[in-house]
Amino acid sequence: MEQKVVNKGIGWGGNTLKEMLDKKKQLWSDTGCYYGLQELSLSASAPFKLELLHARLLAAVIAGRETTRMISAAPQVREVAELAVALYTPEGDCLLQSTGIIIHITLMGQVVEWMIEQGYEEEGINDGDCFTSNDNAISGLHPPDVYDITPIFWEGELIGWVGTVIMELEIGAVVPGCMPSGATDRFSEGLRLSAEKSAENDKHLKSFERRIRFGSRTPDLLLLNRKGALAANVKVREEVKKAVAEFGIDYYMGATRELVELERRAQLERVKRRTVPGKFHSPTTIEVDLTRTIAPPTHAIGRVTLIPCDFHIKPDGRYFLDFDGTGAWGWHAANTTPSAIQGAVSMILTQTIAYTGNANQGTSLAVDMNVPYDSFVWPSTPNFASGWLFSWPLSGGVKWMTQQSHAFFCRGFVEEFRSGVTTSSGVFGAMTGKDHLGNDFNFLSTEAAGCWGGGAFATRDGVTASAAFMPNVDMGSVEIWELMLPTLWLGRKLLPDSCGWGRYRSGYSALSTFLIYKTPLLAFDTSATFLEDKIYPNIGMFGGYPSQGAFSKLITNANTKELISQEKPLAHGMGNPDQSDLEKNIDGDLTVVTRGGIFVDSLAKDGDVYQCFYGAIASGVGDPIKRDPALARKDLDNGLLGIERCRSMHCIEAKYDQETEEWAVDEGATAELREKRSKERLAKGIPAKEWWEKRRQHLAEGRLPRLLKVMYNESLTKGQRWPGEFRRFWNLPETFTFKED
Amino acid sequence: MSKISYSKEVIRDLIEGKLPWSQTKSIISGYKDEDRFDKYVEVLQEKVAWQEKILLPLTHELYIVQKGSDRIVKCSCGQEFGDYRVNWKLNALIHVRESEEEVKELYPYPSAPDAEFCEIREFYCPGCGTQLWVETVPFGYPLVFDFLPDLDTFYAEWLKRPLPSQKEFTDLTCDFIAQNWAE
Ligand SMILES: [Zn+2]
Repeated sequence: MEQKVVNKGIGWGGNTLKEMLDKKKQLWSDTGCYYGLQELSLSASAPFKLELLHARLLAAVIAGRETTRMISAAPQVREVAELAVALYTPEGDCLLQSTGIIIHITLMGQVVEWMIEQGYEEEGINDGDCFTSNDNAISGLHPPDVYDITPIFWEGELIGWVGTVIMELEIGAVVPGCMPSGATDRFSEGLRLSAEKSAENDKHLKSFERRIRFGSRTPDLLLLNRKGALAANVKVREEVKKAVAEFGIDYYMGATRELVELERRAQLERVKRRTVPGKFHSPTTIEVDLTRTIAPPTHAIGRVTLIPCDFHIKPDGRYFLDFDGTGAWGWHAANTTPSAIQGAVSMILTQTIAYTGNANQGTSLAVDMNVPYDSFVWPSTPNFASGWLFSWPLSGGVKWMTQQSHAFFCRGFVEEFRSGVTTSSGVFGAMTGKDHLGNDFNFLSTEAAGCWGGGAFATRDGVTASAAFMPNVDMGSVEIWELMLPTLWLGRKLLPDSCGWGRYRSGYSALSTFLIYKTPLLAFDTSATFLEDKIYPNIGMFGGYPSQGAFSKLITNANTKELISQEKPLAHGMGNPDQSDLEKNIDGDLTVVTRGGIFVDSLAKDGDVYQCFYGAIASGVGDPIKRDPALARKDLDNGLLGIERCRSMHCIEAKYDQETEEWAVDEGATAELREKRSKERLAKGIPAKEWWEKRRQHLAEGRLPRLLKVMYNESLTKGQRWPGEFRRFWNLPETFTFKED
Repeated sequence: MSKISYSKEVIRDLIEGKLPWSQTKSIISGYKDEDRFDKYVEVLQEKVAWQEKILLPLTHELYIVQKGSDRIVKCSCGQEFGDYRVNWKLNALIHVRESEEEVKELYPYPSAPDAEFCEIREFYCPGCGTQLWVETVPFGYPLVFDFLPDLDTFYAEWLKRPLPSQKEFTDLTCDFIAQNWAE
């Protein structure tokens, strides 16, 4: 219990926040328990009372999130619901969280900790204040994710914080959108709110409103979202105060700390009961090509960065992530930070193992990391660009999630196995130009955010809409998007033959087709996405493949007006992949885009057609020729699988019955095809040793692309352990590096 | 609270993907059954034709088994891949998809891995021709050792029944290469 002292700080018991923070850290390092709690007296004596308090607070943050949605005008809040609300201790540790973009939950708490370390208390933190931050040198994932954080006072003492995060779609960067490809350092990324005071007495400061007004291309949306966030915070704050009045302040403070420690212990126990200890490994690569955007010449280069990652499940149930051997950070938007990785870890744990509703700081306290400073995962400058700071979180992070699934599988909990979908590979990107009302217009469409085909499970196919960062996904209604955008949807369809092949296939991703509408001039920026372009993510499991990656097509000077007046067909989906409806039906100039970080070469106008496949790359699971023919038949009937790939990928023969309009599997022919394929594999597969000798020769002679030599050399130079493993595997000299030509 | 437990038949159907979704869903949402691992191994042991005791299932087809005093990786078809601490891929057949046609078969649309940058490595069982794993990694990346379990900690500390003999928890892949492949 806290000792009451002469009132000097604003924290509970008259302590300063800094004193509370230091004490918490000291107790953690002394005891290994949160706040030094070795005994959990409140939960031991009256567990239901603690549960009741927890349920009350949880209901408050969930209701807070809905409040924001009623106030906001932005489709990504109202429709897609890209927001989340959480409650914190005075030191910034998360107690509980709403649904939504929960990757930010730990990270809003890091802003609180940073404010304490910076001495905000001396500058003044008062009841009714709000602090706003989107500064990724402090914490967070990228500039559009704006955090609004409000202190909670009880009888003059600060007893906690409530935070709301909302993803914005325009924050005044060097080019429109909120994660533009051309923003290569901090200074080109637009509005930077470095945990600044934005409100007093629950009212936004005029100075703050003016800053927003002049800082964004869509200030109304940005400001209204702040008001929505403030309303959520006030609502939660008042609910917390009601709970404190009922339960008593001493009980509340004791309970909040016990909730964290309880969850920490529960997490270790869950790991021991559900996984198998050991070591996992996988590399992630991130490709950045800034040669076709507005980056300054010194930044306009192409590069590939390697992020090897070891994942250990330790005997005591702790997780350990080791990023040794990671390559260099750079002047581009796709670096990552320890903060971003921590956000990903807590988000993934919350959905895959800590999904009891009790996930909080305690979950994260059961995870350790080695994140090398001055590398891609921890830039040695605060000036790095951060538009796609979740490069590792959303690529390597979901691989890590899949590895945890592998551990579930080995332990027998096959129903918990969920493989990944890496979302550094497919977002629409930004639009800029004139809108359909004649206004200057800049926007990022997040239509697909979260709605990608998900990775397969160990015993069933992946789902149609999934993303690690959006547990509850929603594409939003087309009609609402059309209010904002100079585009009319011609169709939203799943793309046939685009899944991750396997005994269990990944979910299918969507293809949207748009008629550009009433704008004289529109440009597309792919934004800092599709970062796994030449090298697909290593996420296939047990013999399954990664799925088809994203692409888009634009037809300019399109003859759609003519086609419409003649009542001839346009394009609503793909049609036949070999000759798509878009190309077959519409005349004009075709531009195809498969890479991220670029401006689409052509400008569009009213009547042109844009088609985008939101193919985040997802995992198939198991040998594709072991697929149950009944599952393949279902895909054939639904038009998701073509008969050619049904034969070539699954070795399943089927015939279409014109009468019933259904497919029928030929079991005899299927068995023959499968038998034949197994024999072919035995004939064409070479012993690993033979492959190793050949490949070693390639490496020793430097027969690989220059970008890869640079990539390997960075990792060989920076790493401590990984370089030895690389050289020993290839039996190369201890000082081996590639000659860069 | 009484302990949750499922029958062997339920576990078998669950593994084979035959359990009705409503039942799978309730298993996902419910408290976990503490005897799962033993039932799981029991069901799998009945499915394979060989006698060695399964210590740990690794994938749909691969298992770590006790063979004499050794612990080896074994395919459901009976093919053996050697010590479990050596990446089993070293004893598999490899095929790398390199030609445009082979890549296009997987990825029919404009985006696809670039074979100069990315190796699409397929690993086949030399015994039965099953595709055991697919790696998509940068050209020249070492074979990925996906999972090396700490079996002794698992049995002794987590399951509270130590295995008869101890093995050091260490990756022996590079030792294997040094001893068998490097000339
Ligand atoms: Zn086999």
